[in-house]
Amino acid sequence: MEILEYARPRNMDEAFRLIRERRGTAIGGAAWLRTNTKIMTLGVDLAGLGLEYIREAGGCIEIGAMTTYRELETSPLLKSRFGSLFDATVSHVVGIQLRNIITVGGTVAGRYGFSDLNTTLCALGAKVVFYPGQTLALADFIEKGAGGPFLLEKILLPASMKAAYQQMRISENDFPIINTTSAWTGSGWRIAVGSRPAATRLCRRAMAFLGDEPRPSDEKIASASQIAADELQFGSDIRASAEYRREILPALVRRALVEVRG
Amino acid sequence: MTIRLNVNGKQNTIDCQAGEMLTEVLRRAGYLEVKKGCDTGNCGACTVLVDGKPVLSCSYLAARAEGREITTIQGLAEEARAFARFLTAEGADQCGFCAPGFALTVLSMKKELHNPDEAEIRHYLAGNLCRCSGYEGQIRAIKKYLEAEHA
Ligand SMILES: Cc1cc2nc3c(=O)[nH]c(=O)nc-3n(C[C@H](O)[C@H](O)[C@H](O)COP(=O)(O)OP(=O)(O)OC[C@H]3O[C@@H](n4cnc5c(N)ncnc54)[C@H](O)[C@@H]3O)c2cc1C
Ligand code: FES
Ligand code: FES
Repeated sequence: MEILEYARPRNMDEAFRLIRERRGTAIGGAAWLRTNTKIMTLGVDLAGLGLEYIREAGGCIEIGAMTTYRELETSPLLKSRFGSLFDATVSHVVGIQLRNIITVGGTVAGRYGFSDLNTTLCALGAKVVFYPGQTLALADFIEKGAGGPFLLEKILLPASMKAAYQQMRISENDFPIINTTSAWTGSGWRIAVGSRPAATRLCRRAMAFLGDEPRPSDEKIASASQIAADELQFGSDIRASAEYRREILPALVRRALVEVRG
Repeated sequence: MTIRLNVNGKQNTIDCQAGEMLTEVLRRAGYLEVKKGCDTGNCGACTVLVDGKPVLSCSYLAARAEGREITTIQGLAEEARAFARFLTAEGADQCGFCAPGFALTVLSMKKELHNPDEAEIRHYLAGNLCRCSGYEGQIRAIKKYLEAEHA
């Protein structure tokens, strides 16, 4: 990674201007950026803007863009509202030394196909708040992007939700072959699938099939899991073929749904 | 650009490129105990503490470390030596290249987790790869070290 000019803005206005007007590149944890050989004319370091927080406000959980994975997995607030969901979602990502660096903002902004976290955030119905004020559903942002330079400020989550994460990896520190999160919102089900290897998508047909039944039968869960695999597109890469991903997915969706249903 | 880094309690004024990572800058300043392994964020050899937390120095922007406390294995030499005795006794230190990063992570774990069981130890150390040992000796060494520390 080469940065020709490095800026440490003192406030969000300044950071936003550097990104918007001078086409600066936002620097989150920089762990992913540094794998890039691109030359950055202006790097805008977001450390020091107070974007490291996990807190409750206005009936939501707010997670600041510079919050690290390690903060997610060790947060007592997230544990009390989502059980072991965040731990299960991020704890496979390399080691704690990397998870002390990588950020929620860098993950969401990157819309990576392989992401573990974006799958869970999508299933929870997360919203993305861009500075100075636009809010988008994460599922829409992942599908369509922001349409220009942006500064991601925080993620909004519901105050609590029952959800479960499942993934499959060839080896512990590798990217997932496929991953999925299921959540019961209180009035319906949400199922997200990522690492197809393309980015996370909601399984809208499977969600509609499950309807508003909080305790679907094993048979209904098995059918919904198959619908999820049938409605999505999969691709092949070095880790797995599209066919393999499609075969594996129903078992993971079923496990996640059963875990949430109890 | 010029940055000031506090390493093991000592202030260093160092020239660096804006996009340089901490491993390079620390090694150039003479902190050769910080090892460069994969240089892609996967092996843990380059681990240092920043404000007390273990991070991969190969993936940590050097400019961002200004104003923070950096600790290499030399900064915790006494504690590291105590742990190293257990590593050696269990035959877990072979080429030794992974040892500085490994020991720093173990010392962080000791601070962060109270009485970890084997699964917790393995999980905490998942980011430290060792080419030689096969890990079993290291796990034995950690358990015995923690037992001795708590005795
Ligand atoms: C070695 C390695 C292994 C990994 N393994 C996994 C894995 O197994 N599973 C997984 O899910 N993920 C994995 N990741 C990815 C990781 O989880 C993060 O998603 C990734 O590193 C991006 O986070 P970052 O903080 O490093 O972002 P950065 O590298 O700082 O930024 C990434 C992108 O986001 C932009 N950006 C950052 N913050 C903002 C913001 N606030 N506003 C606007 N744009 C912003 C940057 O400009 C850049 O384009 C891995 C990463 C590495 C380096
Ligand atoms: S050298 Fe940093 S993780 Fe391997
Ligand atoms: S002892 Fe050789 S890499 Fe660990």
